[in-house]
Parts: sequence; C-alpha cells; structure tokens
Amino acid sequence: MIDEALEHLIKGIVDNPTEVAVAEKNGRRGLTYEVRVHPEDIGKVIGRNGRTAKALRTVASALARRPIRVDLLEADE
Amino acid sequence: MEKTEKLEKPGKLEKSEISRLEEEGDLAADYLEVLLDIADLPGDIDIDVENGRAALAIEGGELAHLIGEEGEVLEALQELTRMAVQQNTGDRSRLMLDIEGFRDKKKSALRVLAQERAEEVKSTGESITLAPMNAFERKVIHDTIGELGLASESEGEEPNRCVVILPAS
Repeated sequence: MIDEALEHLIKGIVDNPTEVAVAEKNGRRGLTYEVRVHPEDIGKVIGRNGRTAKALRTVASALARRPIRVDLLEADE
Repeated sequence: MEKTEKLEKPGKLEKSEISRLEEEGDLAADYLEVLLDIADLPGDIDIDVENGRAALAIEGGELAHLIGEEGEVLEALQELTRMAVQQNTGDRSRLMLDIEGFRDKKKSALRVLAQERAEEVKSTGESITLAPMNAFERKVIHDTIGELGLASESEGEEPNRCVVILPAS
C-alpha cells in the first residue's frame, strides 16, 4: 500500500509521471522505498532544502504507522 | 518566498477568481481522494473557498495519524497537495488543508495565547517574542494581534521563525 501511495503522491507532482517507479526493500536499515524518477524531476521531488523529500517521508511514515526510509533516485542510474 | 503572512483583504472576489479557486479545490480533492482510497481510509472531503483561498477539510473519524502529533503530517500533505495543484494549473497554490478539524482547534488555542500575551505587552509596554511557529500558526497570531489593535512581526528563519508582539507606539 505504501508503494502505491508514494507512487500516486509523486506522479501528481512531476513532469514525467509515467517514469515514476517505486520499489520496496526490506534491508538491514529497515523498510526502505526506492523511488526512481526521470532525471529532470529529481530536483522537484527533493525540493528546496529537501523539503519535498521530507514531506514524502513524513506522509509515507504516517501511512505505514512507523518510520520508513524513502530514497529518491534518478532513473537509469 | 511564501507570502502567507500578508493580511488578506476580505470582501468580494472576482467571479473568475472564485472559479479558479474552485478548480484548485477540485484538483486537490482528486489528489487526496485517490490517496485515501489507496490507504483504504474512509474520509469525506469538503471543498470551499475561504479568505481568498481554496479550503479543503477531510473528516473520517480515523485520520489522526494523517495529522501527526504537532500537525506535521497535515503540513506535509498540504505541501504535496499544493504542488500537485500547481503541476496541473501552472500557478502557485495557497490552498489550506484541514483534517478532523485540527486547524480549527489549533486556531482557537492560538487566539487565546495571543490575547493573553497581548495583555502582557499592553500592561508592561515591552515587546514579547513567542515560541517558534509555522506559517499557519504565525498568521493566526498576527491576525489576532491586529484585531486587538497592536502590531506584530515575524523574526528569524524557518523553522525557528517567531512572532514578536510589539507595544503600541
């Protein structure tokens, strides 16, 4: 559910919504969501001083009812 | 920079402005409704235009976790919703989001605080600096202080920006 929610939240704010991909990873550092966006959109999803990235993590953690990591990456890295 | 603290002129809005704000409200509601669906959370979204802004209120009874202890989740969700609206319209959105009446309750508490501190400033003649607050909270304080016939200003940088209540000159 969190991956779907993140995908929706991010698709709504980028110029290339079809290139948004979210993968769930459960590693040593707990539950992490790896988000890939078009390179042109990376600045947008991070935001000034990381403000948008923080907002995404805050909402996703609230939905998950526990702290989670959200990593924002450029597609084709 | 955001200009959320500037005083809004009450009064009649142009018809075109109202329909623009209604469109903002509809776009925001679509964005939020899909999110609630994905999370399987029940919620009714009310759309309005208040003080020259689109205003959305979600009531569901089980949405406290989307507010957060200090309203931080609500602020984050409002920020993302504003971005989604801007992505659609091309214009910066100043829409306000409320969940389970959190902002209304907060507003009442802040108004009481502003009144108490204003009394202090009036009796001592000295300015008072309040604790750091977010833009919404500062605006409530500024509006209340203005109504009481005193002046106030904001000082410092986010997230430590504070309201200073000034004595009447």
